[in-house]
Amino acid sequence: MAANLKEVRERIKSVQSTQQITKAMKMVSASKLRRAQQAIVQIRPYTDRLNKMLKNIMSNIDANEIDVDFGLERPLERATLVVITSNRGLCGAFNSNVIKEGVNALQGSLSSVYKQGNVDIICIGKKGFEYFKKRYDKKANIIDDYVMLFDDLSFDNVSKVADRLMEAFSTGYTDRVEVAYGKFKNAAVQYPMCEQYLPVPKIEVPSEEEKASNTKADYIFEPEQNDLLNHLIPSILQTQFQRYNLDSHASEHGARMTAMDSATENAEEMIKDLRINYNKARQAAITKQISEIVGGAAAMESD
Amino acid sequence: MNLTVLTPDEEIFKGEVTSVKVPGSDGQFEVLTGHAPIVAALGQGTVRLIKNKGEKVTFNINKGFIEVLKNEVALLVQGVSDAA
Repeated sequence: MAANLKEVRERIKSVQSTQQITKAMKMVSASKLRRAQQAIVQIRPYTDRLNKMLKNIMSNIDANEIDVDFGLERPLERATLVVITSNRGLCGAFNSNVIKEGVNALQGSLSSVYKQGNVDIICIGKKGFEYFKKRYDKKANIIDDYVMLFDDLSFDNVSKVADRLMEAFSTGYTDRVEVAYGKFKNAAVQYPMCEQYLPVPKIEVPSEEEKASNTKADYIFEPEQNDLLNHLIPSILQTQFQRYNLDSHASEHGARMTAMDSATENAEEMIKDLRINYNKARQAAITKQISEIVGGAAAMESD
Repeated sequence: MNLTVLTPDEEIFKGEVTSVKVPGSDGQFEVLTGHAPIVAALGQGTVRLIKNKGEKVTFNINKGFIEVLKNEVALLVQGVSDAA
């Protein structure tokens, strides 16, 4: 019995130290999440303004005149898939969900080019890179230039990737770009998603009513609307790509926080069970000892 | 008039100014109080602000946009660096 007691005691100790680690990781993720969320909030005024300008221009342009370089739908011959995952694990199903979205895209919307081996996969984040390198190295062209992008998520740095994608699209190297990432809703909820990045999905022309409410003033456009649109859209695309990254970053920490929280809780439960076992074993040992003593005493008396 | 200067990473200026000179993609121009509503693309060049007290602020940008409406100026810029 004594051996069993010791065993249980040691297990309790080991579970406790694991719990300490998960608790610490949860704390770290919580503070990183706060910072990641702040980054999302910070870029918002800029994107809001850009979108307002876009709406403004769209309200003042003839729908037939719209001619956007990045909106050109071409027959699909070569495609690019961007997969944004985290660098580290222990964040629940976050990475595998994003990877699944990416794989779905390969087998779904990009399947025709994927079968011909005409897909480039740009991996951002180590986890996705490891996955695709291992399983898709021969079937697709894996690009690993940006695996460590999360080390520096400043706008200028992230824009380099966006610029490269836009260049690949405008030179005709790739006909379509899709991005798989984790859309951030809140710390507990993230949506893994795959979105079409290029060509730009058709920009909606506001209805006549909306046009009237948007056109508060008679704007001068310099250069004229269509050229301006072609200036504006790359900037919007850059901020959009930045948003994908910031969202994924926040999602990663959110997912890790929830995962570590439930791990801590599970450890707590386990410790509780082990304590009960431990106490039972201890009580059994005591009872046994007492009955031995009583038995011994009774044997002596009867002599 | 009121000016807000935004970069994707942060807001770098907000306040009253009397003049904003920007490198428009079709040529440099200056926005003063009462300027007509305009939306313009900016190219590489120097932005110069004059604050109400006459203090000048200059910085370089790579590209950006400006929107003026009823003495509210929004300047969205990228690649900001200090003027040489």
